[in-house]
Amino acid sequence: MVEMKNVNVHYASGVDALIDINLRINDGEFVFIVGESGAGKSTLMKLMMRELVPSSGRVFVNGYSLSKLKGNKIAKFRRSIGVVFQEFRLIQDYTVYENVAFVLRIADKSNRAIRQRVPYVLNLVELAHKAKCKTRELSGGEQQRVAIARALANDPGLLIVDEPTGNLDPKRSYELVGLLKEINRCGTTVVMITHEHDLVRYFGGRIINIQKGEITFDETIGGNDEDE
Amino acid sequence: MRTSNVSYLVKKGLSSVWKNFIMSFASFSILLVSLLQVSCTVLFMMNVNIVMGNIENTNEITIYVEKNATEAQVEHISAVLHSNGNLSNIKYYSKEEALKNFKEDMAEYAGLFEYIEENPMPETFLARVTDLSKIQATVTAVSGIDGVEQVKAPYDFANALVNIRNRFTVIIVAMLLTLIVVSVVIISNTIRTSVFARRSEITIMKYVGATNGFIKLPFFVEGCFVGIVAGVAAWGLTWFIYDSIFSLFTDNLTLWEMFGFFNLLPFGNVCWIVLGACCLAGALLGATGTMISMGKYLKV
Repeated sequence: MVEMKNVNVHYASGVDALIDINLRINDGEFVFIVGESGAGKSTLMKLMMRELVPSSGRVFVNGYSLSKLKGNKIAKFRRSIGVVFQEFRLIQDYTVYENVAFVLRIADKSNRAIRQRVPYVLNLVELAHKAKCKTRELSGGEQQRVAIARALANDPGLLIVDEPTGNLDPKRSYELVGLLKEINRCGTTVVMITHEHDLVRYFGGRIINIQKGEITFDETIGGNDEDE
Repeated sequence: MRTSNVSYLVKKGLSSVWKNFIMSFASFSILLVSLLQVSCTVLFMMNVNIVMGNIENTNEITIYVEKNATEAQVEHISAVLHSNGNLSNIKYYSKEEALKNFKEDMAEYAGLFEYIEENPMPETFLARVTDLSKIQATVTAVSGIDGVEQVKAPYDFANALVNIRNRFTVIIVAMLLTLIVVSVVIISNTIRTSVFARRSEITIMKYVGATNGFIKLPFFVEGCFVGIVAGVAAWGLTWFIYDSIFSLFTDNLTLWEMFGFFNLLPFGNVCWIVLGACCLAGALLGATGTMISMGKYLKV
């Protein structure tokens, strides 16, 4: 569950990135956060993963009050969520397997648990056959799926995905969002940040629109994929 | 943390040494030069101390007893001298022995002694001064003993020696401190370059929930390992350089005659201590440099 109460983010440069944001995302929801570049979508994501603390207001994610977190508690909180970054942020020298196994080691899982979990999540993103490849050898779409596998490795209750289709062709983009919908159906809350309105209209669901740091639209619409 | 995960991180640290070979080699080289300078300076200082100690051991004061001193007074003087902690190797010479020694020393003027009717030499004590810096106080104490006529001490030599030793110690300590500070600065800058090259890796680790300890451990292992390897190499080079200089003294008769009696320290005597100190200092410098350099990139 994500909750933001009267959140404002004011950057030192004088920019008001977010203005009086009140938001609640319940467990099991699939939410698109849309808006133009510079609208405040990424700031919202940074708040949700405790990369940023609000200038005022409060942010709660998975039961953690993020403004109060310090030191190793931030690390513990981050292990309870999964984040897929727009630019993937994979360790290029590691293999696909190592990139996914790494977050399980951070969570202090046993070797046995790692050996069981990594092939499972790689199967989920259809990359089990590339487990031994270095991530730098993969295409953009494949790297994106490794990032999703890594985000899912710890079986998080919340998956935050930032512009996942930015580097993909339309076909791969639809496949990827389809995969995220599938993950959501298994019970994981998914928050996807995007500026691709066609995708959002196609899949439907709860849509939150941000403009100039303010929420201007928060509605649930039906999608075409449900008709198919 | 589980043992399996600790061993995984240790392996990661060790494999990073090869993966980042150029940076590891740069850190290794800086550490090697620093440790070599420090170990050579320390060994040089140890030898200077030995030489100074040997010179001090050859330093003697002469105590002349009053002509009319009684046997009891002489015994009292002897007892007081033996109880003085700064005096050792105390020797007593009777009037006859003193004259005999004097004649031996002045053998070329033997003819002059034929005209001496009465033995002019007083009873004498010779004593070695243990700590030259306390020679003044020792002489004052000895002069005050009942029955002592005069005390002769090589003040100029003693003062010069003490001054040399004090100044030398200050210079060496200042050199060592400068070397250590310069080493830490250069090493942390070299390692900072290495850490900078891997800053995105560190940031990713932070974003996926790694604690600072988890991130630091492989870097710590890497820094320690490079430091220990540099320590062993510095030890080997120190041994080679030291032995080359040492054999120059032992192989060359003239030099050995000049310095041989000073008993220079053979490397074998301190071999394992130097190895331990080099490895420990290398590991500490490597690890400290790494930890200092990482701080900035952990604030994510």
